[in-house]
Amino acid sequence: MSSVQTPVAPAFDGSARSVGADAVQLTGVRKCYDEFVAVSDLTLTIDSGGIYGLLGPNGAGKTSTIRMLMGITVPDAGQITVFGQPLGRAHMDQFGYLPEERGLYKKMKVLDHLVFLGQLKGLTSTEATTRAKAWCERFEISSWVGKKIEELSKGMQQKVQFIAAILHDPRLIIMDEPFTGLDPANAVVLKDVLLEMAKSGKTILLSTHRMDQVERLCQSICLINHGRAVLEGDLNQIKAGYGRHNVQIKYDGDAHFLQEKRLVQSFNDYGNYVEVRLAPEANSQELLRLASSHARLDRFEVMEPSLEEIFIDVVGKSNA
Amino acid sequence: MRNTWVILKREYLERVRTRTFLVLTLLAPAFMTALMILPAQLATMGEKPEHIVIVASTQQFGNNIRQQLLAEPLIGEESEYDAAKSKSEDQYTIDVDTTATESERAVLRDKVTRHEIDGFLWLTDGAIAAHSVAWDGQEKAGSREKAWISEAVNRVVQQQELGKKGLTAEQSAEMLQPIKVETFRIENGRETKSAGSGRFMEIIVMVMLIYVAVLLYGISVMRSVLEEKTSRIIEVLLSSASSTELMTGKLLGVGAVGLTQIVVWTVMAGVIALPSLAAQPNFSELQLSPLVMVSFVLYFLLGYLLYSTMYAAIGAITTTEQEGQQLQFIIVIPLVLSVFMLSPVIRTPDSAAVVWMSMIPFFSPIVMYARIVVQTPPLWQIGLSLVLMVGTIAGLVVLCARIYRMGVLIHGKRANLPEIMKWLKYAKA
Repeated sequence: MSSVQTPVAPAFDGSARSVGADAVQLTGVRKCYDEFVAVSDLTLTIDSGGIYGLLGPNGAGKTSTIRMLMGITVPDAGQITVFGQPLGRAHMDQFGYLPEERGLYKKMKVLDHLVFLGQLKGLTSTEATTRAKAWCERFEISSWVGKKIEELSKGMQQKVQFIAAILHDPRLIIMDEPFTGLDPANAVVLKDVLLEMAKSGKTILLSTHRMDQVERLCQSICLINHGRAVLEGDLNQIKAGYGRHNVQIKYDGDAHFLQEKRLVQSFNDYGNYVEVRLAPEANSQELLRLASSHARLDRFEVMEPSLEEIFIDVVGKSNA
Repeated sequence: MRNTWVILKREYLERVRTRTFLVLTLLAPAFMTALMILPAQLATMGEKPEHIVIVASTQQFGNNIRQQLLAEPLIGEESEYDAAKSKSEDQYTIDVDTTATESERAVLRDKVTRHEIDGFLWLTDGAIAAHSVAWDGQEKAGSREKAWISEAVNRVVQQQELGKKGLTAEQSAEMLQPIKVETFRIENGRETKSAGSGRFMEIIVMVMLIYVAVLLYGISVMRSVLEEKTSRIIEVLLSSASSTELMTGKLLGVGAVGLTQIVVWTVMAGVIALPSLAAQPNFSELQLSPLVMVSFVLYFLLGYLLYSTMYAAIGAITTTEQEGQQLQFIIVIPLVLSVFMLSPVIRTPDSAAVVWMSMIPFFSPIVMYARIVVQTPPLWQIGLSLVLMVGTIAGLVVLCARIYRMGVLIHGKRANLPEIMKWLKYAKA
C-alpha cells in the first residue's frame, strides 16, 4: 500500500449503500448532431464499485456518451440517473473526469492549477493544497509543483491531469484512455491507484481501445457500436458465453494439421505460437491428437476467447 | 456562485501577475500626465526672446504699434492657459525702422536669413492705406501670431483714424475696448464657470483609458477563451462548472482587474499629480463634480466589461487568434464611431441624435459620459443607459456561454452564422 492518505469518501445520505447498487443508469439515451446520430437508444447500467469498461470502435459514440454523463451536452431523448437520482449539476462534484484530449492552462503552476481545479469541485484551498501535494508525492512529481505546466513533459502533464481528476475524491471516476502517454512504470502506478479506488468502493468508468487493459482491470463492460450497446454485462459471463473454442499451440515441425477444415475454422499465426479457432462441433482433443502426430508440441492450451476477438467478432456482426 | 468566485479569482490573479498589467498600471498615468503637460511645455519651449523690426513711415506710428504689441498678450486658442505665461516685454526686442525703402527691405530680408532678426513687419503708410501689411519671418506666422499682429495693427490704425475725427486718446481707447464673452454652465441649478478645454480633456482621458484597457485586456479575454478551447481544458472546466458560471467568472475577474487599475491610478494621481496640479493657476476649473467622477468609474467599468464580453464572444466563435483579430473590427468600429461623434456631442449634447446614440450600449461609455461632462443630461437618461448596458452585458454573457459550451465539440474551422445558430439550439438546455 502507498503512503498516500486515502481521502475519505464524501458523506452522502445512504453512503452505506451496498456495493452492487447502480451508480449510473442510462435508459434509451439518444444524441444527434444534425443528421448524424452519435448515440441512439443506449441503455446500460454501471454497478457501484469496481471498474467498468466502455469499449467501441472509433466514432462509436463513447465520447458523446461520456459528455452527456458529464453534463457537457444534454441528451435529446432518454434518461440518465446517477446514484439513483436524475443527473443534475449537483452531481458534478462527485464526478472526476479525465478527458481523452487533455487540457491544462499552460502558464499556470502545477500546484496552483491543481488547487484551482480542486476548488471548482468544492474543496477548500487548504484541503486542495494538502491533497495535491500528497498525490504529487505519490506520482513522484513533487519537485515540479512550482513549475509551470508548459515546462512539464507530456507524461508529467498526464499525471497532473490524472491527479486533478481524483483530487476531490469523487464517487464516480470517468477515465478516457488514461494510460496513453505513460511509460510502463507510471502506467503501473496509475493502475494501482485505479484498483485501490475501485476496492474502496469507487465506481470507475474506463473508456479505451486497449482490450488487454480492459481484460485485466474491468469486471463489467459495455461494447458500443454505431451509438448502441451491442454487448453488455459481466466480462467473465460474456467470455463464458462465447465458449472455449480457442486453442493456443506452440509447436515445432509440420504445420499441416492447421489445414484440417473439419477441425480448424481459422488460425492466426503469431510466430512464436499459433492461435486456432476451432470449427463448430469440433473436438479440441481430436485436434491435439492430429497435431501431436504431425509436430512436436511445446504447449497446447484450450482458452477462452480474448476480448479482442469478441470485439472484432461483435463489431463485425453489428456492422454487417 | 462558488465556481464563479473560484474562476473570478483565477482570472484576476493570472492577469494581475502579468507584465502587461504592471506596465500599463505604471505607464498609463505617466502617459496621461505627459498628455496634459507636454503640449503646454512644448509651446513654451519653442519661445525664445524674439527680435522683431517694425518698418513704418513715421517713428510715432511705429512706436504705437510697438507698445500695442507689448501690451497685448499673444492671443491663441488655449488662452486660459497661455494668459498666465503670455509673452512679456523682456521676451521681445522690437525695433522701429523708418527707412521704408525697397533696399532697406532687402537688407532686412538678409538679416532674417542670417538669423539676426526673427522677422519684420512692413507697415508703411502705403501698405496701411491698401489695408494689407506684410510679415516676413523665419517661420510663416501661425494663426496666433497673425491674430496678435492684426489685433495690434488694427487697434493702432483705428485709434489713429478716430483721433483724426477728433476723439481724444481716452475716448478712442474706451470705444475700442473689446467686449469679453464669459461662458458659464448650469450644473445642478448652479452656475459654474465653463472650463472649455479642461472638459474636453476629461473626455479624451476617458476615451484613451477605455481604448487602451479594452484593447489590452479585451484581447486577453479573447485569448483565454481561445486557449481554453484549443488546449481542451474547456472539457475539464465544463465537467466542474456551468458555462455561464465560467463566462461570468471570467468577465468579473477581468472587470476586477479594470477596477484595480482605476484604484491604483486614482491613488497614484492623488499622491503624485495633485500637488503639482494644485499649483496650476486654473486648477479650480479642473475640479470634477461627484457625478462626473462616479459616472467616470461606472462608464469605464461597464464599457470595459461590454467590450470584453464582445471579445469573449469572438473568442467563442473562432478557433485561432488570427481569425479573432480579423473580427476585431466589430469592437473597434463602435469605439471609433463614438470618437467621431464627440464633436457633435460637445456642441449639441441634447440633440435627438446624440441622445439616442448615448442610449445605445456600444456607444454609451464614451457618448453618454461626454454628455454628462458637457451638460448634465436628465437622470433618467443616465439610468436608462446604465440599465441597457448591464442588460446587454448579461445577454451577451449568456449567449457567449452557450456558444462557448459548444466549443467543446468544435475542431478546425471557424463557425459560420448558421452553425452558431445551431450551437445555440443544441445548448439551449
